[in-house]
Formats: sequence, structure tokens, C-alpha cells
Amino acid sequence: MTITAAPPSRPPARRGGVARAIRIRSLPGRIRAIAFLAVLAVAAVFAVAGLAVQDARDGLRVIGHDAGPQVVATGDLYFALSDMDAQLAAVLLMGRENLGAGRARALQVYDQRRSQAHRALLQGSNLAPDDPAEQQTARSILDALGRYEQLAGQALQLDQRQSHAAGPPSQEVGTLYGQATDLMKLDVLPKAYNLTLDNGTTVRRTYESKHSAVLAGRAWVLLVGAVLLIVLIGLQVYLAVHFRRLVNPVLALATVASLVLIAATVGLLTSEASHLRKAKDDGFDSVLSLSRARAISNNANADETRYLLQPSLADTYEQVYLDKSQEILYVPAGNLAIYYKQLDQRLAGRSFMGFLGVEAQHVTLPGQNAALDRTLRGYQGVQRDDGRIRSLATSVAGRHAAIALRMDTASRDFSTYDQALVSLTAIHQKAFTDAIRAGDDGLSGWNVGLPAAAIVIAVLVLAGVRPRLSEFR
Amino acid sequence: MRLGALGAALLVGVAGCGTGGGGESIATKDTLVIGVAKDQPGLGLRKPDGTFAGFDVDVARYLAAHVENKPKKVVFKAVQSAERESLVRSGKVDLVISSYSITPERKTKVAFAGPYYVAHQDTLVRQSDTAIKNVRDLSGRRLCAVTGSVSWQRVTVERNVRAQLVRVPTYGDCLTKLTDNSLDAISTDDLILAGFAAQKGRAVRFVNAPISDERYGVGIKQSDVTGCEDVNKAITSMYLDGTAGKLLTRWFGTTGLHLTTTVPQFEGCG
Repeated sequence: MTITAAPPSRPPARRGGVARAIRIRSLPGRIRAIAFLAVLAVAAVFAVAGLAVQDARDGLRVIGHDAGPQVVATGDLYFALSDMDAQLAAVLLMGRENLGAGRARALQVYDQRRSQAHRALLQGSNLAPDDPAEQQTARSILDALGRYEQLAGQALQLDQRQSHAAGPPSQEVGTLYGQATDLMKLDVLPKAYNLTLDNGTTVRRTYESKHSAVLAGRAWVLLVGAVLLIVLIGLQVYLAVHFRRLVNPVLALATVASLVLIAATVGLLTSEASHLRKAKDDGFDSVLSLSRARAISNNANADETRYLLQPSLADTYEQVYLDKSQEILYVPAGNLAIYYKQLDQRLAGRSFMGFLGVEAQHVTLPGQNAALDRTLRGYQGVQRDDGRIRSLATSVAGRHAAIALRMDTASRDFSTYDQALVSLTAIHQKAFTDAIRAGDDGLSGWNVGLPAAAIVIAVLVLAGVRPRLSEFR
Repeated sequence: MRLGALGAALLVGVAGCGTGGGGESIATKDTLVIGVAKDQPGLGLRKPDGTFAGFDVDVARYLAAHVENKPKKVVFKAVQSAERESLVRSGKVDLVISSYSITPERKTKVAFAGPYYVAHQDTLVRQSDTAIKNVRDLSGRRLCAVTGSVSWQRVTVERNVRAQLVRVPTYGDCLTKLTDNSLDAISTDDLILAGFAAQKGRAVRFVNAPISDERYGVGIKQSDVTGCEDVNKAITSMYLDGTAGKLLTRWFGTTGLHLTTTVPQFEGCG
């Protein structure tokens, strides 16, 4: 008769085992039953720990390697697309005068952005690997972009032939540009922006479910682990009473090993939950907000050019500029003049809302405060330029100066702001990448380590009771 | 089993965290109370039999039926412009879909799914009044100001045009006063004006000088991020399956307005 006759598991295992243990009269039978219970508890610890580790792994995969990076990819796509239209507007506005960095440079940037956008879209599967609706969206962006480029090409060609001074182009060119920019603003850009939001939703929902699943898993490991320890200690006591030996060393080893495994698992799950939280709170949330802020900033900056380019729509462009500015940095203001004033007053005290407001209230990382300051100062510079441009543009005499300012100083100041925004994002991006890497590193080896530890403990339990059982042969 | 009790306590604690505060999401409800306008022809209008009709009403029906995983029944409730934020915040309505423009001000009080459409503010005047060619010509003229609407502010505050405001509770009152010469202009969203213009035939005309983008959002409680995301998904499918285009054509196809049938850029939830 050997101890290994105990079956590893049966469907209603634990209750059946307990019931049997109660009815078993012989000493070896009872020892066997308790040992069986212990092995069962080891299997249970293995199962709940394995599930929790899998939850952590799934969370890290979606947030760190899937939807998370797609937020960055779609954000870059939006920026490239939006900047194409901004450059096109700039070229048409400056006419034959080489204002700012000049016509050739603007066209060069336009081409760069176009190839960036195409590259991102042709790898559309990277933007949305598993979602057919999102892939359909990526394809329809590509189609609309084709039509946009055609209209833009016609507008550019005609505008060059007509050679005009800085200011709104001919009506024909204006109509072509109107069609092109409508296509971009009403069709292409919303789709790209919504892709970013979709991925943000995926990350948020994955985080909510996986973070709490990991913590729930940790509680289960504690609970089932406690049961395992009680059974092992109970077995130890039972043997000590009936065989008058103080300690069964092998069983003691199994108990210590179990304690170590439970503690290590609880520690791992605690740190995995914290890596997920850091990746989300310090990294991802800010990366998403800031990439939305960058997208909207670029588009608002283009609205400033369009305001000068399409005078018949100037009122609308001014209103959407204010709307977008308030989305980026909200201070209560019914019009732009009040907005500039409020901005100057509230910037130092950081009493404002919007994307930058949320970031200003959540400073946790080294270097973040300085980068945030640069971003805010950059933004203030951009708004000061905007005020000067609009006040110049209201008089016929000032229009040329407004256009020159837009193309030169305002364009440089916007780049300064944009670069500051990019550096601020990079700080959060690094926090995100670090937390995900730490999470991945923490999990490495657990695929093998966890089952190996469970087997070792089970074998130790069996090896511990075997000599006692053999005394009954 | 004190350790067991500890484990169970931990489990309860964790489960408590998992639900995330903020009250019930519309995602879990079977019936949604949706606030719509009762006096805006083409958008939301209460008919004599008590039922509602209009573009916003059809959008509401579609969205309720297409919220992910769980189609919902709809109960419509007439809402006035001025009470929309408070009704959403108090939970008396689950959603507001009534030509409800997303503005930074309002976003401090409620969240917005969508926009499901971007309208443009324009001006409606009497057919005989040819002096008004754009928004600046409203200076010194009598402009309708509906309580709780932001439209007149776009003229007098944002554009700084010194119009005399005539305060009334609804756009229906604006129209009555416009035609009986108690005021000179109504400046608001083209979709709202289109519905009224259709009623009055040749008595009124569009100035055709848009001054803004009005992003029509779905008002929802700020805490209900999941519900807001679900509504956005439903709006995306409304455009992908062609329903949005059909509804726009059904309600505004004959008005001569330029209609956009591609999905708008969403505001984002939370």
C-alpha cells in the first residue's frame, strides 16, 4: 500500500475529501486524507495565483503593448494630418512673398507630414489590430486623404500660377482650399481623433478590470494560502501527537516553502497592481491628455492661419479658436480679449482647467514641473501672438503685418510651445514605459516558477507523510 | 479560522473598490429618460398626441437602441434650455439630446458624449429686412435672447456686437415676436432656424453668414464615463451604418442646408 494512491483531484474534491476524512477511522487513512487535503490546497493556491498572474499579464499586454502605444501612434497620425492642412494654408496665405521660413520650406514640411500620415495609415493594422470597425475607419481615412491631396495639389498649382501678394488667394483657389480643408476638418481629422479616444477607452476599461482583478486575486491567494498553512500545520500537529515526534522536517520544509510562495505571490501581485497603476496614472493618462492637447493646439494654430486666409469665415474661425483654447487651458471667458487677460492673471497661480489644468494639478514625476512651466509659458507666448495678430488684422492697413507676424514670430513661438509639450509628454511616456517594463520584468519566470514551486511543495508533503505511513505496513 | 475571516474581509474590500464610485451608469439601465426639446420643429417637437418628433428624437431612439450589449427603452421628457444641466446633475434625466451645444462653461457641470452633429450659428430675419447682411449689422437692432441658450452671447459677448436683447423663454416665442415686429433677428443654430423657417415659409429668410461651430452633444452625468463611452460607440455606428445621413436628409434635406454626413470629432469622456 502506497500513499500515492491518493487521487490528485475529483470534481467535488474538497467537500468530498473532508466528508471522507471525517468518516475515516484508521490512522493511516486519516493521515492520507489530510495529506490529500494539503495537496489539494497547494493546487488551489497554484490556481488562484496563476489566474491573478494571468490578469496582470493581460493588463500589461493591452495597456503597455497594445492600445497604449496605439494612442501614441494615432496621436502622431492626427498631428501629421492636421499639420498638412496647416502648411497648405500657410503656403496659400503667403503667396509669392517668402514670409517666415518661406514657401519652399512649408511645402517641404507638407510633404514630410504627408509621408508620415501615409506610413501610419498603411500600417493601419498597427493602429487597430483586432477591431474591424477601427480598421474600416483607417481605410476610410486613407481614401479621404487621397481626395484631400488631389484638391490641395490643384489649389497649390493654381495659386502658384496666379502669383499673388500675401493675403487671401483668388476666389477659385479659395474655393478649392475650402473644399480641401472641409474634407480634412470634417472627415479625416475627426476619424483620427476618435481612434485615439477609442484606444484610450480600451486602456481605461482594461485597467479598471485588470487592476481590480489582480487585487482580488491577491486576496484569494491570501485566503487559500491561509487554508494551506492551516492544513500543513494541522498535519504536523497530528503526526506529532500520534507518533510522538516533535517535528517532521520534510513537512516543515513544505510549510516554509508554502509560506515563501504565498508571500512572494502576494508581493508580486501587490507590485504588479502598483506598476499598472503607475503606468496608468502617471504615464498613460497624461500621455493621452497631452497628445489630445497637442492635436487640438495644432488645429487651433491652423485656425489662426485660416482666419486670415478665409475672411468670410473669420467669425467662425475665431469662435472655434476660442473653443479649442478653452479645451486646452480653460479660464472663464466669453471672448478672446477676456481669455488673454484671464490667462495672464491665472497662469502663475495655476488656477485653470482644461487639459493643461489637469496636468498642472497632478505633478508627480521628476522634471515634470519644469517641463510644465515651459509648456505654460510657451502657451502664453502663443496666445500673446494671437492677440496681436487679431488686433492687427481688424484694420485693412494692419493685415499685411498680421500675416507677416503669423508666418514668422507666431510660427516660431508655436514651435517652442509644441516642443515644450512634446518634452512634457516624453516625461510621462518614460514613466509609462518604465512601469510597463518593471511589470513585465516582475512577471518573468512566473510561468515556470509557479508550477514548479507548487509541484515541489506537493512532493514535499507526500515525502513527509510517506515514512509514517510505511510504519503501518 | 481568523485568517479565513481576514481573507474574506479583504475580498469584500477589493470588491468594494472594483465598482468605482459615482452612482449608476446608464450602461446598466433598462430604460433611459432622455430630455428633448418640445418646441423646436425639426429637432424636438411635442405633437398634440404627446409624442415627440424630430432629428434629436430620432437620434435619441437610435442611440438608446444601439448602446453596446444592452438595447434600452426610452421615455422622453420635455426639457427647457435653462434647466438642462440641473436635470442631468440631479439624475431626473439620464441623457439630454436637445440641440445641446458643448461649451467649456457647461463642461464644468455636465459631461458630453458626442458631438453627434456640428451645426452652425446663423441669423434669421424678416424677408423684408435686407439691411442685415452679417452678424455685425445686428448692432442697435433687437435680438432674441432665449434664457439658458448661449446663442445670443456669441453675438453680444464673443463678437461684441451691441444688439438690444429681448429676453424670452423659448425659440417659438422668438419666432412669434420676429414676425409681429417685436424684434428684428434670431441668431442661433442653423438646424433650429431651418425648422422654424420651414413653418413660416417666405415670411423669414436666412442671412447665410455662419459665425460658429455648434457641437451638439449628449449631456450625461460627469461620473458616468462608461455610459459616455458607450454613447460614443453608438454614435460611431450611427454614422458607419448610414443612419445619420438618412436622418439628416429626412429632417433637413429640403432646407438647402449643407449637411455633413461623416462622424464628428468627439469631445472625449472623462
